[in-house]
Amino acid sequence: MYDLIIFLVLLLLGYVFGQRAEKRHFKSIIEREKQLRDILVFSERKIPEADKVEGTLVCGSVVISVDFFKRFVAGLRNLVGGRVSSYESLLERGRREAILRLKEEARERGAQSVWNIRLETSSIYKGSGQSIGAVEVLAYGTAAKTR
Amino acid sequence: MADYENPEIPEGINVSPTHPLKDFALLVAGISTLLVVGVLILSLLAGQLARHVPFAQEQALAGSLGRWLPAAPESSEQQQRQLYLQTLADRLAAAMELPAEMPITIHYAPGDTVNAMASLGGHIVVFQGLIDTLPSENALAMVVAHEIAHIRHRHPIVAMGRGFAVMLTLSSLTGIGDGNLQQWLVGVGMLPVLSFSRSQEEEADGDALQAMLRTYGHVGDAAAFFEDVARRQPMSEPLAMFSTHPGHEERIARIREFAARHAGADKQPAVPLPAYMKSR
Repeated sequence: MYDLIIFLVLLLLGYVFGQRAEKRHFKSIIEREKQLRDILVFSERKIPEADKVEGTLVCGSVVISVDFFKRFVAGLRNLVGGRVSSYESLLERGRREAILRLKEEARERGAQSVWNIRLETSSIYKGSGQSIGAVEVLAYGTAAKTR
Repeated sequence: MADYENPEIPEGINVSPTHPLKDFALLVAGISTLLVVGVLILSLLAGQLARHVPFAQEQALAGSLGRWLPAAPESSEQQQRQLYLQTLADRLAAAMELPAEMPITIHYAPGDTVNAMASLGGHIVVFQGLIDTLPSENALAMVVAHEIAHIRHRHPIVAMGRGFAVMLTLSSLTGIGDGNLQQWLVGVGMLPVLSFSRSQEEEADGDALQAMLRTYGHVGDAAAFFEDVARRQPMSEPLAMFSTHPGHEERIARIREFAARHAGADKQPAVPLPAYMKSR
């Protein structure tokens, strides 16, 4: 019985704090994306007019923890299949935050654009049983600064 | 460079628009329904299998459960009462053509509880509280015959099989409660653990009425126990649909209907209970 109460409290805490953190994070992401709109990012490998720019490697990475509620819902989803919407929003946050951090680094270096952007995702704590787990998203690319 | 641009991307492309709570509710409801249905099917199957356990095995199981039946009566008065109950049960068992390998053992319990119970291994417990509410031997015979019918139809072992299947499934699914399972196994012989389904109760009622008719030639006073219970707690009757025992009104009605079908069977005088059976 106590197990069940503890579980429900954890679930509630996970939901309340997880949702609040997610809402805040999305708000901040949208705001900062507006501020950094002038830094252009492309997945294209070849920098046009490469001889006129100076290229440097820039990267941004973020680690976001899964909350108890999300993990539980995803666990239930595992039984029946389908879209794991609780993780979709988590990874969306990760990708956008990583690109934002990459853009911030590019701005510090005085670059106007970032080329050949690549995203890497990895799961932290993977395979360690009952732990909640977290996801890391790394974005990297070549920042181009006009000479 | 001027040819390149980053258009503004609309929100919500990469995320399903479901509310997390809705997702959660749907998943929990769906999966728990599946679980309940699964456990129900398993318990019904277990009940079907338990029916085929030889009665000798059931007796051995009941014997291995330790001390769960009331202690043997000490005073001579209580011994007299137990003997009377045992004789009555044997007479009814003979009328019900109970197989010889299915002996009924009656245990007299001096408690105030208004109840009688059938359990594993052909053991029936009758409480003094029940005897005190009954007007005649016929009324007592109806209750005892009802419990004998449970044993004849193997209801106690079926109920145990079902309960065991439910416990086993749940504890192996959750992976917790090893201790609980053990506790339940120890307590399995405890009488209140075994509960019978509505259809089992109706089956037992039908058999008991037949036995009454064969033993006494009529079914007068057969409904006395239920009439008494219905009189004492008219309001506390749970909705018949959700209750395992058929509603008292329903049972009384069925008994009266049975009496009407065997015309004149309820007009005859009932056999009185011997004076020593009453505690007050």
